[in-house]
Amino acid sequence: MSRVTIYSSGGLLFGMACVLLTLVWHLSVGAKSLPFATVIDAFTQFDAGIFDHIIVRELRLPRALIAALVGASLAVAGALMQGVTRNPLADPGLLGLMAGASLAAVLSVSVFGLETAVWLPLIAAFGALLAAALVWTVAARAPGGATSLSLTLAGAAISGLLGAIISVLHLLDQQTFDILRGWLVGSIGGRGLTELYWSLPWLLAGLIGAVVLAPSVTALAMGDEQAAGLGIQITQRKAQLLACVVMLTAASVALAGPLGFIGLVIPHVVRLFVGSDYRWIVPWSAVFGAAYLLGIDAIARLILRPQDVATGLLTALVGAPLLVYLVRVRIR
Amino acid sequence: MFIRLLNDRFSVKFHPQGLLWILLITLSAAMLVVTSTRMGSYPMTLTDVWQTIHGAADNTRHQLIIWEFRLPRTLVALLAGALFALSGAMLQSLTRNALADPSLIGISQGAALAVVTLIVVFPEVGGYWREISAFAGSLLIAIVIRLVAGSGRSLKFILMGIGLSAFVSAITSAMLTYGDIERAMSALAWLAGSVNSANWQDVRILAFATTGLLITYLLQARAMSPMALGTEAATGLGVNLRWLGNSQLVLSVTAAALATAVVGPLGFVGLLAPHLTRRIINTGPATFLVLAALVGGLLVLTADLIGRTLFAPIQLPAGLLTSMIGAPVFIWLMLHQRTQT
Repeated sequence: MSRVTIYSSGGLLFGMACVLLTLVWHLSVGAKSLPFATVIDAFTQFDAGIFDHIIVRELRLPRALIAALVGASLAVAGALMQGVTRNPLADPGLLGLMAGASLAAVLSVSVFGLETAVWLPLIAAFGALLAAALVWTVAARAPGGATSLSLTLAGAAISGLLGAIISVLHLLDQQTFDILRGWLVGSIGGRGLTELYWSLPWLLAGLIGAVVLAPSVTALAMGDEQAAGLGIQITQRKAQLLACVVMLTAASVALAGPLGFIGLVIPHVVRLFVGSDYRWIVPWSAVFGAAYLLGIDAIARLILRPQDVATGLLTALVGAPLLVYLVRVRIR
Repeated sequence: MFIRLLNDRFSVKFHPQGLLWILLITLSAAMLVVTSTRMGSYPMTLTDVWQTIHGAADNTRHQLIIWEFRLPRTLVALLAGALFALSGAMLQSLTRNALADPSLIGISQGAALAVVTLIVVFPEVGGYWREISAFAGSLLIAIVIRLVAGSGRSLKFILMGIGLSAFVSAITSAMLTYGDIERAMSALAWLAGSVNSANWQDVRILAFATTGLLITYLLQARAMSPMALGTEAATGLGVNLRWLGNSQLVLSVTAAALATAVVGPLGFVGLLAPHLTRRIINTGPATFLVLAALVGGLLVLTADLIGRTLFAPIQLPAGLLTSMIGAPVFIWLMLHQRTQT
């Protein structure tokens, strides 16, 4: 084994340890703080008679699982987008995918009266795809073509427009608004295991696809010509990767609402340590994305206890300064 | 038509065609004001409105509706729109960036954060503290963005502004979750960019502000034409760029902050009004500023009128409508901007 492999897999193991640690921490905080030992006991020596064990397994575990999965998915989606479009500012939130998914979800609930969560990921995926296509079309027609800047600006404008439409729908239909209000600022609470089951296949498919396709992302990140020279069927591969990104984003939005900036922050931090090889960036993004969102969500529940601060606000607080920095330094 | 005062220190030129347009838009604004006072959940006829304003009719219900609700609301919409438009026009001249808008680069959001903090944390303070804190908040953000983003000619500037406003908005939303629910609700209503709670004090503040700022802006107008030629040419023509830049920034921030303090952050008006004006007529800066202010007022008034009548009894805040019109225009401008990056 080469040194790189040892270093990178070591980092991956460290990341998994981080996930476990933040998971336990996440499970221990809440309206009632529990000691770590109780949390661990709830899994190793579960006793249905102890109330704290029930809290951990029944009430807190779903939220923790959702946070971990959504964090991993969004980070991987961001990494793939940055690689394929060679755009350091790519992120499912910034490029309008999340706004599209949210609007589709809101429309399906308020206009078509959808009540089950079964089809929500699929509908959200449709919306995300449409919004992405729209952003891409607009950016490609800008003078200078689809650069990082024009893509991100088009994404911001279209997200703003879709957001305004969502607000109008809310005002016209207060009832739906009450159901969706927490969800729309990116909140993980209030989602149960049923929703998780319906999104899980999409998330897993997207994550597995990302790991399988990761080697070709490295090639695509060097440019289309180089990738073609290495024997990659560009159009086909890009379509497959887009499908992965849309699946990951849509299922995440269906679960946790639009949580911005995770797909921007994690891959950039990960790249500082593993360089430009997507075979490592993708799994690292997954584990550190999971640990990151678990940590952020735990903090969100901790700082203003007993109230929840919407998790999406905290991810924006971390992510927005990074965006400003990236624009300042990385874009010419 | 020339206006020269103070030994030519203040000289403003109005083209006849520009004057015609000013007249035309003033007339349509006046017509819209009348329409706006007539329409609503209690429709009134033209004669009712006329007589009530004259004081000829003693129908107390009419008097209440017109004087307490509709007229202040209409005037606030008009004046706030004018202020946002002036702020946007100034910002675009200052950064020489066609996409600059106070609500896009975080200036309005800075004011919003300051006011929400005031409402949630110090609900007991009254008076003009709302305006003062809005000014402080937006000036702070403007300085930050000047320091971080530099000259502002490029698209980068806008994108950094968007990042900054995302950051500031997140803090504002956190304040709303943290705060007492009743205070948070009143802050939330204000944040949506709605003019429905307008009263005569708001009208007074905005009227003073608009008149004062418009005069100051016209004083600046003379230096604005060489600015459009580029920094070197402007310096060559004797413009003190540093002084002009700083004063333009402060003026733009003042206008946006005052308007935001009263009606909340109305999106995109500062972007839309100057561009519409440029499409109507190509004139010197003085006519342009006056026209832009009128167009801005007209825009917000129309947005408010549509918002409260289209889905009555549900009222859509004017800010939502301006955003829905503004975002596509922003995209259009992005596609047709001559100078990229």
